[in-house]
Amino acid sequence: MTDKDFNYLKLGESDLDKLFDAARETRPIMDPDFLDQLQIQAFEAMPITSEINSRNSNIEIFSWISTVIPQFGGLRVSIGLVMIAAIGVVIGFNPPDLVLDFTTAYFDTETLVELAGINNETQIYWEDF
Amino acid sequence: MSFDVSQNKDNAELLALFAKGNRLSTISLTSRLAPIIFSQAFYMLNNSADAEDVTQDALLQLWKIAPKWDPNRAQITTWLYRVTSNLCIDRFRKSKRLSSEEMPEVIDKTPDVDQKMQLMARSKALYAGLKILPDRQRQAIVLRHLEELSNPDISEIMEISIEAVESLIARGKRSLVTTLTPQKKALGLNND
Repeated sequence: MTDKDFNYLKLGESDLDKLFDAARETRPIMDPDFLDQLQIQAFEAMPITSEINSRNSNIEIFSWISTVIPQFGGLRVSIGLVMIAAIGVVIGFNPPDLVLDFTTAYFDTETLVELAGINNETQIYWEDF
Repeated sequence: MSFDVSQNKDNAELLALFAKGNRLSTISLTSRLAPIIFSQAFYMLNNSADAEDVTQDALLQLWKIAPKWDPNRAQITTWLYRVTSNLCIDRFRKSKRLSSEEMPEVIDKTPDVDQKMQLMARSKALYAGLKILPDRQRQAIVLRHLEELSNPDISEIMEISIEAVESLIARGKRSLVTTLTPQKKALGLNND
């Protein structure tokens, strides 16, 4: 018979091992920049960090205020400005007679609404208050 | 003198510290686990970009589960191998991009160009052979022969019996032999 055994042509266990070795040896090394990126993502995903971030948003408002105050000349000046603004609001709602005399004399009107030229149908007289 | 005590801690301890907001533990854990995931993903997908995506997704899943992690449940690496395998299989099914498109850079330990070329050719052939294996056979072969894990570890990762692992590996290797035998000579395996 001329039957031949072709089994010797097949890959053996040691051949497969060589292929596995080759795959291991040619495996790319992970990019260090990618590792850095993963570290950043890990920090962002930290459960505690998320809580701190929400607390930080409140702190940011105060830090913004603390940066604005010096631009207006410090705490004392800022308090003064706030008080003047508050007095302005009070005067706006309940003007003293002196202010009304001034508007009547110069603008010929007794109401601030009329002076502003809005909603003329509803007259508000300061005497009603 | 190093103050990084996290080096002496196991992965579960580091994960618990991560959940408490410890940054050093996060660095240690990422440095330890990311290369393992990347390596497994690359073996299964043969594509660096896809392997990076899988690494990122697997770690994000770990960070998400960290506060609820039960150290008695399983080893973190076992859980990660399982998650990575599933992510790779999903990605592979979607993209079918597992191919010999990417010729990996050879790590600089080969003495000459011919040997490098041969390593790359063998690697390319193996990935082509792995590509046509069923998902579970490919997963078992990668874990056993490329990640070099033990059969009991693989059975835990794949959640099947050790006998089933052995069967998957044996069938996978038979398929590889059938697929790659015609290239035996070209791959420089004819002298064995």
